Amino acid sequence: MERSLTFTLGCHDGLPIFIGYFPTAIAFGLVCRDLGLRAWQAILFSVSNFAGSGQFLAASLMGSGALLAELVISVWLINMRYVFMGAELARKLDPHLKGWQRPLIAFGTTDEVFSVAVLNPSPLPAPYLFGLQATSYLGWVGGTAVGFLIGMVLPPLLQLAVGVTLYALFTVLLTQQVRQKGVIALAIAALSATIHTVLTIVVGMPVGWSFVISMLSATFVGAWIVDEEVGR
Amino acid sequence: MNATVAILASALATFAVRLLPYYAAWLSRLPRFLAKSLRLLPIAALGPLIFPGVILDYPDRWWAGLGGIAIASLFAWRKNGMIIPILLSIAITWALLAL
Repeated sequence: MERSLTFTLGCHDGLPIFIGYFPTAIAFGLVCRDLGLRAWQAILFSVSNFAGSGQFLAASLMGSGALLAELVISVWLINMRYVFMGAELARKLDPHLKGWQRPLIAFGTTDEVFSVAVLNPSPLPAPYLFGLQATSYLGWVGGTAVGFLIGMVLPPLLQLAVGVTLYALFTVLLTQQVRQKGVIALAIAALSATIHTVLTIVVGMPVGWSFVISMLSATFVGAWIVDEEVGR
Repeated sequence: MNATVAILASALATFAVRLLPYYAAWLSRLPRFLAKSLRLLPIAALGPLIFPGVILDYPDRWWAGLGGIAIASLFAWRKNGMIIPILLSIAITWALLAL
């Protein structure tokens, strides 16, 4: 029997995403607290961005004192993948959507929302997507608030140790990539890390620009070396 | 850099790329090399997000953060999930700072 794609079903399908986002967002809340942000700024971060890796990247660059332009370009680059997801999702949308519904759906398109949404037969009705996105959004914003609160009650030495959260998170993400794509993922990350270290410490380049340059050069070297299948 | 301005600028940059494909269909037909690059970009971003920061953040005990991410990586190699490796990593770093 074909499922009727209602708002309720969207919420139901969003529950696993909620459960996945909540702990990651707790980590983000801890990072914000560690960065010296206020509670409302941490929540504003997740409310306005709603983007996992983009937010962690922005927080990391804010912590290292990067310029605004460096931050915007880096966030923009790391989120470029949403262009492909959006293009795919736009093709599957109900053609009778109202004008205001498209930007709202675009705002809520994360990697996980996209992966769940496109498994359904098209056309995708707006209420289903709104249910899916709203549930995921609650997990992300709620987890951020809880993480910030946890950060407030930690003793000083533990707060210093919590500074490792961001690095641990990126390390977990990298390990997952290496598991999926093989040693080439590790090689690309190691190359960009080496370029970044040389540029910031030896050359003395500002962190943000060095980040953009090392990320792009390692990407192009990687794309030049790997065959089509590995990149997928 | 003002934190609120940075947060909102990051939000705008994120929303712009999400909105783009709804109004610029040609973007889904990028040349192969560029499309492949965009898939590798998040991996390339991870390297400089970890190094050298994880060492420089603990100037007195440069190994504290390294110990933390080593345990996170070991755990993530065997099992899925995010929160346990992060908690383990905080615990190890904490122990290395306290010893």
